[in-house]
Amino acid sequence: MPALVELTNVYAYSGDGRLLFEDVNLSLGNGEKVFLAAPLGSGKSLFLNWLAGVERPDKGTVRVLGHDISVLDAGALNALRCRLGLIIKDNALISNLKVIENCALPLLYHTDMPHDEAMKKARSLLDSTGFTGDPWELPGPLPNYAKKQIAIARSLALDPEIIICENLGDGLTSGERARLFELILGYHAGAGSRLLLVTSTDKFDAAFVKPDRVLRIENNRITEDGASA
Amino acid sequence: MINLFGYIGRAALARAREVSSVWSLIIYALSAAFTGMKRGRRVVVDVFFRQVYFTGYEAVPIISWIALILGFVVVAQALSILPGLGGESLVGKILVWVVIREAGPVFAAVIVIARSGTAIAAELGSMKIGRELTALELMGIDPVRYLVAPRIIGTAVSVMVLTFCFEAVSIVGGFVLAGFGGSVTFHAYFASLLEAMGLLDIAVSLLKSAVFGLIIGAVCSYQGLLVRKSITQIPQVTTRAVMRSLTSVFFLDAVITSIFYM
Repeated sequence: MPALVELTNVYAYSGDGRLLFEDVNLSLGNGEKVFLAAPLGSGKSLFLNWLAGVERPDKGTVRVLGHDISVLDAGALNALRCRLGLIIKDNALISNLKVIENCALPLLYHTDMPHDEAMKKARSLLDSTGFTGDPWELPGPLPNYAKKQIAIARSLALDPEIIICENLGDGLTSGERARLFELILGYHAGAGSRLLLVTSTDKFDAAFVKPDRVLRIENNRITEDGASA
Repeated sequence: MINLFGYIGRAALARAREVSSVWSLIIYALSAAFTGMKRGRRVVVDVFFRQVYFTGYEAVPIISWIALILGFVVVAQALSILPGLGGESLVGKILVWVVIREAGPVFAAVIVIARSGTAIAAELGSMKIGRELTALELMGIDPVRYLVAPRIIGTAVSVMVLTFCFEAVSIVGGFVLAGFGGSVTFHAYFASLLEAMGLLDIAVSLLKSAVFGLIIGAVCSYQGLLVRKSITQIPQVTTRAVMRSLTSVFFLDAVITSIFYM
């Protein structure tokens, strides 16, 4: 499988010089389902920030979709981010946009798709997540589960090649987690060869994901458990 | 004494850095808005129109009331003094000197600071806390281009429109009073007004309102973006946005007036 994400000899230090990551080598390929379990404060967010090009490692190379993120300019980074579907842990929906406008935003910003068509696609993505609320209301007062559905619909709008879910199950019941992971897995299975990376603080979320690979952050390194059910 | 000088020096340096950051934000926002306009143009334009609607259109009633009252007061004061001096025809000139040159741009700016400057700082601060700016960045959308640029330009356009509105209503309000008072004829009032009002007055009024609008939008956005992690920072940055905007507007007013009229 060709590597979509490749980390080579990566080191990172905190502002006060503390070692965060040491000699990380990792390759994630097309079509894989990868589960990264690590407690809060272990460096998961930093790892995801590298993949999105928000931060750069102190040493080593991070290549995403074949691009070294350290050498990309702002425009190239934005173009790269359009190929990633990131569902971040606190949803971060745009508070002054309606639910459907949140989902249509990437389409309206990055493509020439006519407005009506973008809204139709946003509506269909929302429906596919099982969202049953009013798409024309502001997302602020909605329950956490509905916000996650909207965040998923938004992240899939541009048909991403890499789907990254950061702590997707946080704050949800077991049933809600199962439904959301089923949704993501369904998309991953139906959309051909794509990389799915799920991070979680709860190692039991792996049961919902049924990953091909399980990664952990231990002793400043990313280690692999090997294949898992 | 050395400590005092040190304190003053550090405060001056901090303020200079802040002023430099605000002007950099204006330049970055303007260049981000007008370069590469193809990508995301429609959503950026949409945010711009929303800003003009909230900052400009919704402020028209309040600014009209204030302008009407100010026009009334200026003309009433002028008429109470000028007849004794035999110069009723000067009333139009006084309106130009007070309203067009100074009060129009400054009042419009102050009202925009109170209504919209606070809203911009609080909204951006709260979006920052909710990681909405991070979410935009992760979607490949430059938050400055999408959120800040249309707010800065929208505020500038709104202050220009509100200044025009303020000046028109003040002049009409002044005329209504002059007409009802009967001490100044319609012809004398407008003849005096047209005689006193030069192109320079209109140009400087527009220039002031544009500069005030840019600076209000930038100062308030900058303060909003300073919020880091705590929601308690939002009222702090909002207050600071108001004070910094007011100071900047009055300072720039003095600078522009001294350049063109001294």
